Amino acid sequence: MGRKPQKNDSLPGSLDMLILRTLSRRELHGYGIVQFLQQSSGNELLVEEGSLYPALQRLELNGWIDGVWGVTSNNRRARIYKITAAGRKQLRVETRKYAKLTLAIARVMGAE
Amino acid sequence: MLRRLRYWIGSARRSESLREEMELHLAEKAAELEAEGMTVERARAEALRRFGNVGQKQEESREVWMTRFWSELLQDVRYGFRTMAANKAFSALAVLSLALGIGANTVIYSFMESVLMRSLPVADPESLVVLNWHSRPPQDANKQWVHVVHGVQGLLWPGDKGSLVTGMFPYGALENLREQKQVFSTLFGYFNARKLSLTVGGQAASVHGEYVSGEYFQGLGVSPAAGRLIDLDDDRRGAPPVAVISFAISQNRFGGAPNAIGQSILIDNVPFTVVGVTPPEFFGVDPAAAPEVFLPLHANLLVDAAAAQRMYSDGNFYWIEMMGRLRPGVTVAQAQAALAPRFHQWVEATAATDGERSKLPTLMLAPGAGGLGSLRREYSKPLYVLLAMVGLILAITCANIANLLLARAAARRREMAIRLSMGAGRFRVVRQLLTESVLLASLGGALGVLFALWGVRSMTFLLGRGQENFTLHAELNWKVLGVSAALSVACGLFFGLVPAIQSTRPDVMPALKNGRGGGPRNRAQHILVVAQIAMSFVILFAAGLFVRTLKELNSVQLGYARENILLFSLNARQAGHRDPEMGTFYADLRKRFESIPGVSSATLAQSSIISAGFAGPAIKGPMKIDAVTLEGARVLSAGPRFLTTMQIPLLAGREMDDRDQPGSKPVAVISERLARTYFGNENPVGRLITLPEEKRELEIVGVSANLRYGGLKNEAAPMTVIVAVSQFSSDRMTYALRTAGDPLRYVQSVYEIAREADSRIPVTNVITQAAEIDRTISREVTFAKLCTGFAVLALLTACVGLYGTMSYTVARQVGEIGIRMALGAQRGTVVWMVLRRVLLLAAVGLAISVPVALSASRLVKSFLFETKPNDPLTLAVAGGVLLCAAILAGYAPARRASRIDPLAALRQE
Repeated sequence: MGRKPQKNDSLPGSLDMLILRTLSRRELHGYGIVQFLQQSSGNELLVEEGSLYPALQRLELNGWIDGVWGVTSNNRRARIYKITAAGRKQLRVETRKYAKLTLAIARVMGAE
Repeated sequence: MLRRLRYWIGSARRSESLREEMELHLAEKAAELEAEGMTVERARAEALRRFGNVGQKQEESREVWMTRFWSELLQDVRYGFRTMAANKAFSALAVLSLALGIGANTVIYSFMESVLMRSLPVADPESLVVLNWHSRPPQDANKQWVHVVHGVQGLLWPGDKGSLVTGMFPYGALENLREQKQVFSTLFGYFNARKLSLTVGGQAASVHGEYVSGEYFQGLGVSPAAGRLIDLDDDRRGAPPVAVISFAISQNRFGGAPNAIGQSILIDNVPFTVVGVTPPEFFGVDPAAAPEVFLPLHANLLVDAAAAQRMYSDGNFYWIEMMGRLRPGVTVAQAQAALAPRFHQWVEATAATDGERSKLPTLMLAPGAGGLGSLRREYSKPLYVLLAMVGLILAITCANIANLLLARAAARRREMAIRLSMGAGRFRVVRQLLTESVLLASLGGALGVLFALWGVRSMTFLLGRGQENFTLHAELNWKVLGVSAALSVACGLFFGLVPAIQSTRPDVMPALKNGRGGGPRNRAQHILVVAQIAMSFVILFAAGLFVRTLKELNSVQLGYARENILLFSLNARQAGHRDPEMGTFYADLRKRFESIPGVSSATLAQSSIISAGFAGPAIKGPMKIDAVTLEGARVLSAGPRFLTTMQIPLLAGREMDDRDQPGSKPVAVISERLARTYFGNENPVGRLITLPEEKRELEIVGVSANLRYGGLKNEAAPMTVIVAVSQFSSDRMTYALRTAGDPLRYVQSVYEIAREADSRIPVTNVITQAAEIDRTISREVTFAKLCTGFAVLALLTACVGLYGTMSYTVARQVGEIGIRMALGAQRGTVVWMVLRRVLLLAAVGLAISVPVALSASRLVKSFLFETKPNDPLTLAVAGGVLLCAAILAGYAPARRASRIDPLAALRQE
């Protein structure tokens, strides 16, 4: 008896881009990605942590990331994700789109 | 798409790993928070809070690899199976009755299709027409046959108002009509050669043959499987004798179509050369016949010269059947308009007297795409009756499903209300209910397919009466199956949808408050139950009539022995024997059969008694005693020891024996009824019967008890004249052996003796007398069996409906019953309260269906024997059975009602 999925990130699709960007630096597991996002954003970006997983599934289905079972730094079994070649291409596309978008927003805001 | 599918397949594993991933996430988060100084519990709670709704996130993730629709469908199906499992008996009965309904419909309809609608497997069957004619009744006021038809070889069938309809023509008509070349591109003739003896490499077998004119195969547009087919050159006097054989024969006797070409065969002891093989799907022009050997028309001059002489020269002898292929653009009506005057002119010239001229045949053309109509004439009506019955059964079944779903929806109003108030989407709930109904219907449909597959096979067997070469082979009709299945699914959808929408009305509070759930409305259910009862009664009544008919047929007094008699036929003429040697051959053979240990007596006759009359008359013309013509006397030619073997009592004189030789004085044994009618109390032995046309006299040597001549439906005590086979020759003989124990044990010895006597003669139609008799009533047996089955099915289904409705009613009234009992109502009163309603429903159903059943039963009048279509006994029994079944179905809920504990009931409220 589910309800329609609620989009709760302010910029639609930005979570995907953030994950791809994170993974383009290093391979990480789910929790690691969340931590990285928080730290690198100076705790400004608070992702609803659960939303990460549907996003990971989506990315993997599209073939942009690849998850394999491995061991974390503190020796726990976890699924470690890494970006694929297609993922890097997608990241470039999204980055460009994002740049355009932010530029457009900045112009609108600056015009005031 | 493929990847999605792979994901979907691995979804269970993926769910598990996703759960593990999330679990790890939560654990790490909690550990981190703990490190920041939180207690274990708080850290865990905080981690969960920040994570969000775990279940929902899992759901969303799963949605990525499996669309929501499918995942929900899977849920619904799973849930549907669970609810079905919770109501096992109910669901099983619904599914089963649906399966039987769908299956039975498919089977019967598949047969209808193959009998009534299938086209001949030839090129462009639509342009074929069959030539028939009709004329006024041939009998004049004195019941004398006055007609241009002086002789016939084939089948006449009655048309409207006693008129005569047939497809047989004299050869001259074919020659004449063939000249008219504007309407037909080809006109061809053929006639049934009946059983021929086919000898291949010394091995004889009896096969169906057909004589065909030279244009036959070309006209039908059939191409050979091997060799060539009969053409114009083969069909003339003096042409080299050639034969075309069926594909099946080429396989069985030559091991393949190509091997048969050029082989020599003997047909009725006349050598023929096989020139071709017909394609496997070809069965001639009559779906009922399926010839195995095709011979040129004029080859009958070689095979049966005596009969053939008359055929080509006599313009009043009717024997050949015709079919034509219309030229492109010519309609049947145009062809009729062009040919009818031509035929009229021709046939007028063959009439000799004014009496004959006054009732000349009129040509009628009929569409020939379906081939000849003999099967249709025989089976269309029984099939329509069966179709009507199975249609009713499907209706009952659908009503049952509807009822079940209505009751269940009503019972689940509360459940639905809870779901709705928990935030389930209305559409989602409706969809779930629909999934359940469709699930039920689909299961029924799937089982129905299995049932239909099995049914088609057993029906072929039942209708075929065990005939070895029965040609009516129905294939499962997938279209029909689809329609029946779609109907049931549609029924499931519709009757699932109405209550589903009702029970998901936004206003859920009343349903939640009402402990029992369910509104007051179950009128729909009552209507359905009444309809079911009414329909079952119709079927029950029909079954009753057919069972009664069968009982009457089985209790018919035969006047001769039924058990311990073995019958089989031989045709020595087909192996080249001729009179008078043939008579001696048959007589010797009888003695040898009689000498088999265990055989107490053996006899021979023109045919078995039950099929007497079909083989054609043994004597020509009328019979007279002094100057009085014997009216309605039936003749059977039989050999020595006939009465002894058949255990027909001899009342006076003697029976046939070996003294009756071709040269000695012709003798007759008459039946008691004939003796009483024409001789009163005088002793007829020694008196004479004269045969003016044969210019012979018969001396009456004995009087037998009455015996039923011909089929069971014939008159009980006819006047019969038994003459000696030795004195009135017959080509084919049916032997009868009276045996000790099972007659079939002696078959081997019979084969050995026959082979020893003449290996060219095949022994055919080996059967026990009992089976031979039963074969003539196989349609009645089939009907009685099928209808009884249908009636049981209908009754059971209706009872399930009734039971369901009453159970639901009782469940709804628990409170009321509880109060009544608390106020001192006795158990019996409660039982009666429920049963009264059952009886009321049954009575309403009966009131509706009795008039319907009575008027419908008139339609099956022709299937009944010694049973009136409005037979009151059957009506009473059917009604009684129905009421008993209704009470039985209603008793369980009534009993449950009476066991209600008032305290518990009231507390629940």
